[in-house]
Amino acid sequence: MATTAAVAVRSENANWFVRVARLIPGILLLAAIGIVGKWLEQSINGYTKAHHIVFPNIEYVLWAIVIGLAIGNLVKVPAIFQPGIDTYEFWLKAGIVLLGSRFVLADILKLGGISLLLVFIEIGGSLLLMTALGRAFGLRPKLINLLAIGSAVCGVSAIIAAKGAIDADDEDSSFAIAAILALGAISLLVFPLVGHAIHLSDHGYGLWAGLAVDNTAEASAAGALFSDAAGKVAVLTKTCRNALIGFVVLGYAIYWTRKGQAGAIGNKAAFLWQKFPKFVLGFLVISAAVSLGFFSKGQVTDLANLSRWAFLLTFAGVGLRTNFRALSKQGLKPFAVGVMGEVLIAVLTLGLVVGANRIWTL
Amino acid sequence: MADERKVAEAKPKVSLDTWAVLLAFVLALLVRAGVLQHVAW
Repeated sequence: MATTAAVAVRSENANWFVRVARLIPGILLLAAIGIVGKWLEQSINGYTKAHHIVFPNIEYVLWAIVIGLAIGNLVKVPAIFQPGIDTYEFWLKAGIVLLGSRFVLADILKLGGISLLLVFIEIGGSLLLMTALGRAFGLRPKLINLLAIGSAVCGVSAIIAAKGAIDADDEDSSFAIAAILALGAISLLVFPLVGHAIHLSDHGYGLWAGLAVDNTAEASAAGALFSDAAGKVAVLTKTCRNALIGFVVLGYAIYWTRKGQAGAIGNKAAFLWQKFPKFVLGFLVISAAVSLGFFSKGQVTDLANLSRWAFLLTFAGVGLRTNFRALSKQGLKPFAVGVMGEVLIAVLTLGLVVGANRIWTL
Repeated sequence: MADERKVAEAKPKVSLDTWAVLLAFVLALLVRAGVLQHVAW
């Protein structure tokens, strides 16, 4: 009996080791793409400065995404890389926790308070808008809900959380995820251009990107493409949206349970905890530790740099996993609803940010 | 019964979210302890 248990433990350890080893090629690919992006940014900057050429600074973020997009869409990436590429969300979450080192708690309370207020308005407005548009286009009710949750709260994670809670079809959730991902890719190109064209401040732009871009990875990238400071604010705002995921999903789950089309919910507190993104708490813990002087100034810089490395892996992954061919195979109607909804949400949130800027001077 | 066991086995004990938080905390502690120093960017 003891021997059987020992063999089981050994086999579990071996499985764990194999699983970790399978991640390595893809993680190395993410790192290679990110480092090449960083090298390109530094080399081009160095060259243009040395030769007195006026040239806009193209951040490593854009290079990492573009190189990732080129590889992911022009070359068939061998399957050996896939498990590691899929870790980009893991790095995103670790990066967000470490980013807490760049915020003093008082900043979070001030900026987070403003963000949270705007997030409530954004979530309410987005849910109403997407629902109205989905109904007008005759989409299936659960697909409408998934699109509404994805655009109001936090993209793919929210759709996956809601799928199980409201018993939605696989087809509906893949439609919604594809639409949200395609729109996220478009927003990476459009948001920084609009932000610069209308001369938004770093704070204002970061708030806008965090409110309007759906997926956390794309929201962080859209912010960082504008400026480092805007990237920070975009992540904080997006984190406020993420924190509300459980409440929105719970609301929809109760609605479908009452209609008899979803499983009953047991303990609501346990449901909320299960859906709550734990990295939000990690972010607050690190920020509190920095605010209480647990880290020296040099150590805070080290933590911020570790966060940058984690984001570098994330941005490479964003480019690699965006496959235009796969996205174009999805239905046109959900995509059309998504585009219209996202444009309206972008305008609504831009209005909110401009209004907030007049009151609080962001 | 067997299916239930399979589902229970397939479900990860710790979510990806939690692993990411744990990694970040370990890195923060290593920085605090001076094991990780002068992280370049």
